[in-house]
Amino acid sequence: MLVIWRRCGESLFVGEDVEIEVLDARANRVKLGITAPDSVQIVRRETRITREENIAAALSAGHEMIEHLLRCLPRRN
Amino acid sequence: MPRIPTKFFGECDYEAGDLFSFPSGLPGFEDQHSFVFLKIPGAEPLLFLQSVLTRNLCFVVLPILVADPDYRLELAPEELSELDLPPDRQPIVGRDVLCGALVCSGYGAEPTANLMAPIVVNLNTRVGIQAILGQSAYCYRHPLRFGEGVLAC
Repeated sequence: MLVIWRRCGESLFVGEDVEIEVLDARANRVKLGITAPDSVQIVRRETRITREENIAAALSAGHEMIEHLLRCLPRRN
Repeated sequence: MPRIPTKFFGECDYEAGDLFSFPSGLPGFEDQHSFVFLKIPGAEPLLFLQSVLTRNLCFVVLPILVADPDYRLELAPEELSELDLPPDRQPIVGRDVLCGALVCSGYGAEPTANLMAPIVVNLNTRVGIQAILGQSAYCYRHPLRFGEGVLAC
């Protein structure tokens, strides 16, 4: 991993077209401004994980899983 | 009573109150804006989040407090806004919102629940989102354990 220190107001380029600027920095949060072509998808890491997990959840949902859960879950009755 | 074709249960009746709008869809399913929460007799406490648009899309959902009785829902200000909830307090699960974890069995023998990204629906406005608790310690592959031991049978 490449590690670079930047201050507020400073920026860096990724490739020719993507610029990332540090707009604000606090104790445990930074605010970034990203300038990139429309073709570049920008997504938070946790959103990408959620996307992958959702697809896996949809694909794995089946009668077998449901029956397994119903055998193991505490019943409300 | 409206009916819907479902992935697992054939044609199902549902009540208008079980139909929820997801204006942003879910990550990976951004074009899915309408889901019904199916409650199937005999399948409690499981819920089924059935797409209205796509019969073959149905998530298995576990109420969040069944997956983790100590779960604390902490929505970001923009998530409260998307759900039309007041910005100054967290909603109460079961009263203000219904909150559930998507179950996945794609990672080994035992199913897991995504506690990092719960489905949250406003029970008054019928609007839903998938919240993403990025700052939380909650796991997106939370092993389902019940009673004294690991879920094993």
